[in-house]
This record gives sequence, structure tokens and C-alpha cells, in this order.
Amino acid sequence: MGGRGLLTLIRRAMVALFAGVSVAAAIRVRGSGGVPPQKGGWRALEGSDLQ
Amino acid sequence: MRVVIFGAGATGARVARQLRSSGKVACVEIRDQQESKARLLVETLGSGTEFGEGRQIGGDTDAVVLATPPGSQAAVARRAVHRGVPVVATSNQMSEVRRLLTLEQEALHHRVPVVIGAGFMPGLTGLLARHAATELDQVDEIHVAKVGTGGPACARQHHRALSSTGLDWRDGKWTRRAGGSGRELAYFPDPIGGRDCYRAGLPDALLLVPEFVGVERVTARQAATRRDRLTAPLPMLRPPHAEGGIGAVRVELRGRVGIERRVLVMGAIERPAVAAGAVAACTTLHVLAGAAAPGAYGLAGIADHLTLLRAVGDCGVRPMRFEGMTTFL
Repeated sequence: MGGRGLLTLIRRAMVALFAGVSVAAAIRVRGSGGVPPQKGGWRALEGSDLQ
Repeated sequence: MRVVIFGAGATGARVARQLRSSGKVACVEIRDQQESKARLLVETLGSGTEFGEGRQIGGDTDAVVLATPPGSQAAVARRAVHRGVPVVATSNQMSEVRRLLTLEQEALHHRVPVVIGAGFMPGLTGLLARHAATELDQVDEIHVAKVGTGGPACARQHHRALSSTGLDWRDGKWTRRAGGSGRELAYFPDPIGGRDCYRAGLPDALLLVPEFVGVERVTARQAATRRDRLTAPLPMLRPPHAEGGIGAVRVELRGRVGIERRVLVMGAIERPAVAAGAVAACTTLHVLAGAAAPGAYGLAGIADHLTLLRAVGDCGVRPMRFEGMTTFL
């Protein structure tokens, strides 16, 4: 492999690495978490709940 | 009664205040590595409080409360156990909780309780899990989550935890998972509402698994923002705040009643240091009343959990329940 071929390989490896890191960072930062409950609500526990 | 509190930070100060106002503790001795901080707290609280130094535990001590930054509690706890003094530890660091749990045999030998993780989470979450479990014949899964931090030490631990390895209990085995992974939207009591929560180096599973025989899955998560996740591997970019804002915990239990599968969701909302102080103080009074059995365990394993839960509620940290989705089969 000549000097030019080696440089091309390194360049492609760096581009691939950059693309991989960018995709991973995008997924990590912007990924979706889920859906909040559509019904129901919070209620404080009162005396009879704690018997 | 005499109680020695190690740590005069956001949580320790609240524990001292609650114990003084309970009328059941004659003297609260406050120690802190920063002498000026302990002295200031003693001056603020006035009569019935004393300034203390060092790590020695006197023979006249009825209980020790550890509210120092995580990582410094296990050595003092061991010393107290060897003196036959009950311990209430607030650590939420996984490695330290492991070390505290290893005090089980020594605690049994000296016949003293070592209550571990007596804070907001772990702590109140254990009590809520124990309470919810009374409605189920069999607990299959427990999932706990928290939002918010207390004082600076709590904020630093929160930051470290997000880049630390999480520990889940899955099908009877411990599973290590990367911190910051496993995003789940958890719905906390209003006004906090839905927050994305992630795995982190949290000790909750270590404290919950021994108390729920046959449980198949136990996970713990903490809420984090995108910035938190990106900067988690770095040192904190700015000093932590003196005290965080409003926080919350959420406990989800999945289990069975007969052949019916059920989901129960409990929670609480409060400033984390206030809640941790209330839980630690009420636990200390519970221990002083002789209601805690010898051994080393979390609050899910404490005897007469309802009395303790009521006491915590009376301190203003109201347990809550999510209603409207309890049964799914």
C-alpha cells in the first residue's frame, strides 16, 4: 500500500469514526423517553391509608 | 437521651432541629469536619445542643446519626456498633452502602440496629415500597426513581452517580448497567410531573432485594437533563448550589393479588434535604423507642414501618399514591 492509499484509509477511518460518534451523541441526547400517563392522578395518603 | 450527629450540612442540620423539637432527645451533639459549621449550628439551635469533635463515640450515647458526605460513614458506623450504639446512616453511595451492609453480623452480635440509607432515596422509597407491598400477595418488580438533590454533598454524589455503573436485580441475578443508560419517563407528583430518568450508581437495589423475597426485578433511576448526561463524565463544571429546589421520589411495584397482576405507584414531593432530614430524624426516634431490630438493613426492612411512615408524614413529608392505573390484567 502506497503513501496515498494509507492516507485515504486514515481519512476514511476518521470520517467513519466521526459519523459514528455523531449518531451516538444524537441518539443519547435526543432519544425519546416514553409517554406520560393519560389518566389518573396523585393523592396524599391520609389516616386510614396508613392504618 | 443523647444523640451524636456527624455532619452539620443541609441534612444534618435538619436532623438536629427535628430531634431537638421532638422533646424526646435531651442533648444533640453535633460534629463536623468543618468546626465552624458545627459551632454555628449549635449556636443557632441553642440549648440542648453541644459541639463535639473527633470520631470517638462516648458510652453515654444512645444513637449516632451519620449525615456526613458519602464515603466517610462506614468507619464511624463500625466504631459505634462496637460500642453497642445504634446507627442511622444517610449515605446514598453504592460502595459505602455495601460496606455498611457488611456490618450485619457485628450488629447482630452487639444487638444494635444499623439503619442504612435513611434519607429521601434510599430511605422514604424503602418505606413506601414496604407499605405498597402489604397490598400484594407477591412482589415481582420494584422500580424507584428520584428527582432533585439536597445539599452540595448530595449534588456531587448525584453527578458522580450518573457516570457510575448502575446495579439492577434481574431474574435473581445482579446485572451491571452503564450509568446514564435506560431512559424511562417517570411521572412524579405534581408540580414536577414527567421526567426522563436514567440508570446511575444508586444503592437502592442493594437495600430492597434482601427485604422482598422472590422479587424478580429491582431497578433505580435518577432524573437527569441532557446537559447532566453530557457532562456526567467530567468534573462538575461549577460549584454545587447550597441547596437544591423541590424534588420527588417515585416507587412502582408490580406484583400479584391471587391471579390478578397489579401495579402500585407511590411517591412523595419535598426538598430532598428537608425530606432526608425528616426521615433520618424520625428513624432515629424510632430506633430510640426500641422499635428497630438488631442487624444492618434499609428502611424497607424496619419493623413497624407504618408508625415510621406516619411520623414522617407528620413532619410534612406526605406519602402519595398515584391512582387510576392500579390494575392492568
